[in-house]
Amino acid sequence: MVATVLRIRFRVLGNTLTRSPMQLVGFIFGVLGALWMLLLAGVGLFFIGTLDFDVARAAVTAAGAVLTLGWVIGPVFAAGIDTTLDPAKLAPFPMTTRQMMVAITAGGLTGVPGIATSLGALLTFLVWLREPIAAIAALVCVPLGVLICVVASRAVAALAGGLGGGRRTRELIGLIGFAVLIFASPLLVGILNGVRAATDQGMQVQSIVDGVAWTPIGAAWAVPGDLAAGAWLPAVVRFVIAAATLCVLWLLWNRSLAASVVAPPARSAARRRSGSLGWFGVMPSSPVGATWARSLTSWTRDMRYIKQLLLIPFAPVLILLYSQWNLSSPFFALSGLLVGFFAGILAYTDVSYDGTAFATVMQTGIRGRDDRLGRMLGAATVSVPLVVLADLVTLGIAARWDLLPAVLGGSLALTLVGLGVSAVSSAFLVIPTPAPGDSPFKRVPGSTFAMFLTFFACWVLVAALSLPAVIPALIAAFGGSAVAGWIALAVGPVLGVAVFAIGIVVGGRRFDAGAPALLAQLRTYQGA
Amino acid sequence: MTDIPRDVPPPSALPDAVAPPTSTDSLPAMELTGLMKRFGEKTAVAGLDLTVPAGSFYGLVGPNGAGKTTTLSMATGLLRPDAGVARIHGVDVWAQPVEAKKLIGNLADGVRLFDRLTGEQLVTYTGMMFGLARDEVAARTADLLRIMDLGEAAGTPVVDYSAGMTKKVALACALVHAPRLLVLDEPFESVDPVSAANIEDILRGYTASGGTVIVSSHSMDLVQRMCDHVAVIAQGRLLASGTVDEVRAGATLQDRFVDLVGGRHHAEGPQWLRQS
Repeated sequence: MVATVLRIRFRVLGNTLTRSPMQLVGFIFGVLGALWMLLLAGVGLFFIGTLDFDVARAAVTAAGAVLTLGWVIGPVFAAGIDTTLDPAKLAPFPMTTRQMMVAITAGGLTGVPGIATSLGALLTFLVWLREPIAAIAALVCVPLGVLICVVASRAVAALAGGLGGGRRTRELIGLIGFAVLIFASPLLVGILNGVRAATDQGMQVQSIVDGVAWTPIGAAWAVPGDLAAGAWLPAVVRFVIAAATLCVLWLLWNRSLAASVVAPPARSAARRRSGSLGWFGVMPSSPVGATWARSLTSWTRDMRYIKQLLLIPFAPVLILLYSQWNLSSPFFALSGLLVGFFAGILAYTDVSYDGTAFATVMQTGIRGRDDRLGRMLGAATVSVPLVVLADLVTLGIAARWDLLPAVLGGSLALTLVGLGVSAVSSAFLVIPTPAPGDSPFKRVPGSTFAMFLTFFACWVLVAALSLPAVIPALIAAFGGSAVAGWIALAVGPVLGVAVFAIGIVVGGRRFDAGAPALLAQLRTYQGA
Repeated sequence: MTDIPRDVPPPSALPDAVAPPTSTDSLPAMELTGLMKRFGEKTAVAGLDLTVPAGSFYGLVGPNGAGKTTTLSMATGLLRPDAGVARIHGVDVWAQPVEAKKLIGNLADGVRLFDRLTGEQLVTYTGMMFGLARDEVAARTADLLRIMDLGEAAGTPVVDYSAGMTKKVALACALVHAPRLLVLDEPFESVDPVSAANIEDILRGYTASGGTVIVSSHSMDLVQRMCDHVAVIAQGRLLASGTVDEVRAGATLQDRFVDLVGGRHHAEGPQWLRQS
């Protein structure tokens, strides 16, 4: 049974790759990336193997812990969760929950990340070979560590999907987790940087690694080294910790999977009083007003949109990280510009989120210009206040109110230019997205490398078009010229509104000609 | 039009607000000429000609994959044809899409609605998209939700509706701008019998007051009972069209359909499937 499921998984992968050359390119890039990481790991472990054994085993433990952590948070943060072997899809087949879990685990092990992890874990033998005891222990501990990686990632995904039961709760938990992750990872990196800077000897790093080795993510990787170093008691305790981790994860996963297969997460939503029209009661009754109200409803209620908005507070944190936590640096004071840069382009493929409901839009025969204007006004109603708020907060923290005109001008230009570019790009680009109500983190097949390039091109275009406002803002911040700041404030909004208007007109023309093609493309995506 | 729809119910079934404007011209409600669409190697619709007289209740039948949905998508401006012309009351759909779509009420099959909106919001949204005055939208929305029996569920997001309720709210959206032509792709699929009878009444009232209805369906009984005209499509071609009595030529529509389309085999199913 498990073998059959695995064969189906590879068949699906093969079919997807042969159907779309661009996906093949993406896949090859993924494989090349994995090979590159493996090469780095191999070379690194080889040289570490020649160092002092205590340093070597600490390095292996640290690397193993980071790897495990990556498996748990990576899918949520970056790539989404691979749903080729979704429990819901396997449910109709006569399999026990346990068989299903074995099949999904095997699927995880045989994917590109799984294979790379297994090979990387095998490379630790470059270190252990010097100590026969360690090598023998590693025969058990390395597979254990790899299994913990895969099972942990699936268990966390299943738990995140099953907790609470209600759709709304589930989405909220996902979002909160996402927010915590966004802020936790830079903070963690910052703390680690601080620790490294503080200890030239590296002794403290060693004690941190020693601590990590007691946690579920590091224990399995530390056991062989402990044994070789003669630390029997810690080795045994850590082995028990690792084995218990795997058991607990397996049980948790089993429970949530058994529950979710029998009773898929219920759909429930807050009822509105009839006669309560929300934004539809506020906006003028016209195609633009209707689209504006619908767009605004999505931006404030649909988790897939709200997830994108969470990226906005990420920008100042990112800058803090790169400026070494220097609150008074002009970089931090200027972080409103980065916020504007992120916020404007959020709607770059707005039509994708409609799914096939886009047919409803087309049935009304709306003119492209009205559709563009409604959508971008919806996005602007959310993003412009957020950008201004981010400007005020970061300037307040940095106590650099003298830069207010510069930051306000530059960030508004970036936001409005971004919206103008989005008005055009969203008229010809649709990407596969999770269906409304699905987890915003679900990975959806069908993204291609070309889509990524288009997104990148949009960003470059926004940056280039905003230069007339951004350059004076930078001069004001780094050259200390107050006049330049006021120039940025004068140029920014005017430039932004101009690009916005041009974007609406150009995008509108493109929409009038290309809307049927967009709908045809959307129909090909699963679950849209 | 000389065809009189049978069993005309009292026109009061349809609220005045959404009754179609009376047709004054003699142009066909829908006229398709040489419509063609290929998907890669496969020809989905191969040069289809079809004339739907104004005021008729027109059934479109065909086996799975016959090209019904593709044809209707091209006729209503959702899918660009490779060749051919589609006219709605004389307006070329692909040359004047905005004008043509104002004449059409469309219930497409296999597409989502904006299902995060409540039923009331969705109908209101559609009315606003057609630029109706605000109080007009409110009145029509209330009327439509009432006749579709959706008053109770007006404040519930459409995502939580049953399949039948979703069809009904989609039909309400298709009616809100009082179109002259209703194009309904599988309108009765997964609708319960009571709701189906109610919808049927509404549609009859609509044609009686001069509107035109095109329905695609798998159900021959339904088409024979409700429609006055029928077209049979298979493999992207028109096999027969005309009044229901012309097409069925004395037999039942079901038998005539099987004759035209073929593919019926009289087997008992594989041996291993037999339970005794």
